[in-house]
Amino acid sequence: MAPAPTSTSWDHEYNTLRRQKLFTDPPTDRSAYPLLQIAVDPHIESFDAIFEEGGLIDKGLADIDTRTYLDGDDRSPLASRNRLSIKYKGVHVQKSQVPPSNKFAKNREILPAECRERHVTYRGKLAATFEYRINDGEAREFTRELGQMPLMVKSKFCHLRNNSPAQLVARKEESEELGGYFIVNGIEKIIRLLLVNRRNFPLAIERPSFQNRGPSYTSYGIIIRSVRPDETSQTNNLHYLNDGNVTFRFSWRKSEYLVPVLMILKALVETNDREIFEGLVGSPDSKGIKNTFLTDRVELLLRTYKTYGLYTKEQTRAYLGEKFRPVLGVSETLSNYEAGTEFLRKIVLVHLGNVNVTEKQDSDKFRLLLLSIRKLYALVAGECAVDNPDAAQNQEILLGGFLYGMIIKERLDELLSTGVRASLRDYFRRNPARTFTSQEFGKDFPMKIFQKTTENLGEMLQYFLSTGNLNSQSGLDLQQVSGFTVVAEKLNFLRFISHFRMVHRGSFFAQLKTTTIMTKAVDASAIPALAAELGVVSTSSAATDESVPVMLNGRILGWCKPAESRRIADTFRYWKVEGSHGVPLHLEIGYVPASNGGSYPGIYMSSEPARMTRPVKYLPLEKEDFVGPLEQPYMSIACTEPEVVSGESTHVEFDPTNMLSILANMTPFSDFNQSPRNMYQCQMGKQTMGTPATALRYRTDNKMYRIQTGQTPVVRSPLHNAYGFDNFPNGFNAVVAVISYTGYDMDDAMIINKSAHERGFGHGTIYKVKKITLKEESRSKNTKGVQKLFGFAPGGPVKGSAQTMLDNDGLPHVGRMVQEGDVICAWHTVTADYSGNLVNRDGQTHFEKYKDSEVGFIEEVRLLGSETGNEPAQTISIKFRIPRSPVIGDKFSSRHGQKGVASQKWPAIDMPFSESGIQPDIIINPHAFPSRMTIGMFVESLAGKAGCLHGLAQESTPFRFDEENTAGDYFGHQLKMAGYNYHGNEPMYSGITGEELAADIYIGVVYYQRLRHMVNDKYQVRTTGPVVSTTGQPIKGRKRGGGIRVGEMERDALLAHGTAFLLQDRLMNCSDYSRSWICRKCGSFLSVQPTVSPFVTKKKMVSTVRCRNCAVRLDQMKDGEMAKITGEIWEDGQGNQWVGGEDTTLVAVPGALKYLDVELAAMGVKLKYRVDPKDATRRGPLVQTKWDGLASGRKADSQQPALVAA
Amino acid sequence: MSSQREAYQIPTGQQSPAAGMAMRSVVNTSSAANDEGLPMRYICGDCGTTFPLKRADTIRCVECGCRVLYKERTKRMVQFEAR
Repeated sequence: MAPAPTSTSWDHEYNTLRRQKLFTDPPTDRSAYPLLQIAVDPHIESFDAIFEEGGLIDKGLADIDTRTYLDGDDRSPLASRNRLSIKYKGVHVQKSQVPPSNKFAKNREILPAECRERHVTYRGKLAATFEYRINDGEAREFTRELGQMPLMVKSKFCHLRNNSPAQLVARKEESEELGGYFIVNGIEKIIRLLLVNRRNFPLAIERPSFQNRGPSYTSYGIIIRSVRPDETSQTNNLHYLNDGNVTFRFSWRKSEYLVPVLMILKALVETNDREIFEGLVGSPDSKGIKNTFLTDRVELLLRTYKTYGLYTKEQTRAYLGEKFRPVLGVSETLSNYEAGTEFLRKIVLVHLGNVNVTEKQDSDKFRLLLLSIRKLYALVAGECAVDNPDAAQNQEILLGGFLYGMIIKERLDELLSTGVRASLRDYFRRNPARTFTSQEFGKDFPMKIFQKTTENLGEMLQYFLSTGNLNSQSGLDLQQVSGFTVVAEKLNFLRFISHFRMVHRGSFFAQLKTTTIMTKAVDASAIPALAAELGVVSTSSAATDESVPVMLNGRILGWCKPAESRRIADTFRYWKVEGSHGVPLHLEIGYVPASNGGSYPGIYMSSEPARMTRPVKYLPLEKEDFVGPLEQPYMSIACTEPEVVSGESTHVEFDPTNMLSILANMTPFSDFNQSPRNMYQCQMGKQTMGTPATALRYRTDNKMYRIQTGQTPVVRSPLHNAYGFDNFPNGFNAVVAVISYTGYDMDDAMIINKSAHERGFGHGTIYKVKKITLKEESRSKNTKGVQKLFGFAPGGPVKGSAQTMLDNDGLPHVGRMVQEGDVICAWHTVTADYSGNLVNRDGQTHFEKYKDSEVGFIEEVRLLGSETGNEPAQTISIKFRIPRSPVIGDKFSSRHGQKGVASQKWPAIDMPFSESGIQPDIIINPHAFPSRMTIGMFVESLAGKAGCLHGLAQESTPFRFDEENTAGDYFGHQLKMAGYNYHGNEPMYSGITGEELAADIYIGVVYYQRLRHMVNDKYQVRTTGPVVSTTGQPIKGRKRGGGIRVGEMERDALLAHGTAFLLQDRLMNCSDYSRSWICRKCGSFLSVQPTVSPFVTKKKMVSTVRCRNCAVRLDQMKDGEMAKITGEIWEDGQGNQWVGGEDTTLVAVPGALKYLDVELAAMGVKLKYRVDPKDATRRGPLVQTKWDGLASGRKADSQQPALVAA
Repeated sequence: MSSQREAYQIPTGQQSPAAGMAMRSVVNTSSAANDEGLPMRYICGDCGTTFPLKRADTIRCVECGCRVLYKERTKRMVQFEAR
């Protein structure tokens, strides 16, 4: 009998033995934690969808279609030229493998773990098969390799696909490896989920920026994000103009184009004005005809179009084709009519047909366009409300795999159009005589011509993944060009798993634990017939109280009365949950009821991928139903069974905790907390120093944080086990007392018991990996061969100190302690001699140094070989272990958004103790609670204490207690049974005096997290240090020993306090204090210079400084003046003799001031400094400064007193 | 670290006979006649065999051709802050 499969059901208990067994013998059948895999699956499934049979690429290749090129002269007639038609037959990917040139590897697979360890990309060969024919000759095929494409881990092309936990462990992975990411240069990268507009749905938008399109454009518009089967999209817009006209706008290759909407309508189908009028307004006997607002505008719409004089479908298509030929780059072989058809195929409502468009599909496009115009007019008239593009209702998710597929498709398209075109043109320019039919061309064609094109798609994809930048011709119909990828940081497991659940610019909806994203379309082929059966008709009216649309995936199935629409939607839902009539369970039935000026009513059904869905219980059948964001707002879903309102509620939540994310579910009793605190915890959970991985030995992340004393929480929910978070403990249970004990717990500080600290409380480790490579890391592929080798240069002199630090191979001893400045590896240059041996010639040994200021230990040293296995050691990777025991200033937090900083390690003898002799590990201040209202933390403390006393794991799922059965009573009873105070308070005794404290102290067990923000990474001190050379001010940045800026606001505060001396110290003495000579007479820094005595040697520079500007040069003096010289004669550096300029002095000024002076002087601006008020140049007549003189001066009214004082 | 004086000094290599003489010399001029470098032992990342490798040898396991090799933990005494 086969053993029972690994159980996947979990409760909240510790399950110690079961977990131990899972660790020692990883299951060989399946994972015990399927929930984790489900959380990541959308990523993997979307990647798999790219290359599967009939997948995104196959559909995309159909859209790319055949390209036709002509040879010969552009001016010669078409018929005389040969044509070459080429198309893709298929694109294939291989799993990651060792290249054939490697003859040594026994195992040809390259596993993800090896890529991480070797800091390379996990990728597989990408190849495309082309099919071409010349004129109408026979079709030939050839295959080209397109480089190596990065592969998603655990996707179809990954070696880890469907591996059991036991296999994964054998392959150096986590036992619960999830995949869903790429490995690029050894770094794990994920493509972010992106929020985009709901597909194939006309969104009514009011946006002021629409008015910028041109004169008479209004802010009203309709946006339809139309998605092709290959998941690429083309957005179509309709704009309302002031006069009632409507234009159709689209963007193609990042340029925008405007077309009258009637031109599109008339090009799509053979129609006439009456049909369009009735299609917009309704039949003559309908209510819509009485809507004069609408009829006036439709009439104008039709009349203004008359100016084009285009009446038939043929004329219109030819006109469009002629205009858009150059834009679309269609082949010369196509007629204008065919080009117009191509335009409609590629741009207009592509979801309704983008390959071999049939007449029926064109008619679908026509009808959807009519509905959109109708909705636009209704929006302008105020009959319907705008749709909010920021609400989850009108959004969907662009999955990473789909985006990846879009990029591949565009690159393939570009290769076939621009790439091949350019190389063909190039070929014929060099060989003008040849044609497609000539023999030489037949020989050259695939090989030589394709050599010229850049066909390395793999490199481009790797660039995309490593930078997150999109280099695209078309922009892929996305709003942004960068930030598509992020590093999946393995800081701790919570953070890692969150990366897969987050949505870029996202709504909360996708983060819900239960929400998944559909990656596959469901079969909705039965729907149209059913709709017709239920009374959906093809005639309609503009009045929404008369008829509302019934749509499936952006295709109008028909129309029905508003009253009927409800019946139809309800019937569909019943069938869907029941599973009958071929209605799929995952169909979304967006029933928008008719309302007075609300959203445009109708039934909008969707069966396509990229939608969000979540499970709820359908009451009529008591079965699981899946609802989507569009239908959700119009449904009545009760939160709990008692809240079900008979006759109104159709659904009920399976569990009220379904509204929480994976992380939020980990907060115990979160329903007791003030909600922002729960949000804070979700943030802090991701910053916790936890357990990043169990395969630590095989990981080479740049930086990893690990807690040494991880424990399983006493208070936890069953989901904690179901997600297997005990495999990655994130904190430790601590005895926490809430007292204001020493004053060191003020303001969110916390006191740690020193003895607890000494027993390893909260001890953590940082692992850092440094990759040292001797290869030139340049893009250019000039492989010069090996130029450097690790090790000491043979025969060269080596310092003894360096040799003791390193092994004989020039690499550090594993296990050695390293300090700042220590040598961590040695290398020397080599050149190949005649026999190919690598010889060192200069005898010089170079060293790499350990630059961190902290003590570390060499944990691992890896020698990384090349893929081909024929290179000597060129790259090594050293893993350092840096111990980080908690120090004062490190940050801790409970699971309730209550973070604090360790302020003291208080000796155990001075800690308060309870009657049972318990001392707290942590003391926090009671003032942390009143304003924050984290009652959940109190409950956790109570539950934790009771759990410890009874040896229980406490179930902490929110919404399990109510007013009648309170949590306080439940855990209070447990405490009482253990002989403790019912309320969790205990009498305590001061550790210092031994006296009983006046109040009973609330003490219990709380799960604490150590956050990764540690003072050792943050502290910044400086008195003196490096400065900016131009200004003399301190440099910026902690890493370089810079200072913290005393900015304007800090300056203001010091000014306001009147602390001038402090201000002087900060801004001058500790900054760019400098002493400088200045000439008092001309007031300049720049004209002074030291004198040079011809008799004194250079070393004894005399400190006399003279002003060159005020001095007179002796040899330029007239003879007569010579005699009148007073004062000393001095000499400058050139030997010129000067006299005068003696009025110089030494002043202390900021260095920046001198810099400013020089800068201004360079621009011809002179600065003049007045060292003393006395130095001021006097303006006006000299005034006596004696008192009597002053008095007389005033009498004479000759001068203002203020000026006199100056 | 309390002080530099207390920090343990790693003794110089006992393995190489030449290093013993030039233990405290600032410049070790003894080339130890190892133009090819003394073979060091490494552990294969895949099959776990240990095997010797010289200075300019290609980085791959002799058994399985694995491209990641680990350095063995040093046999020397490493002891820090014995308190």
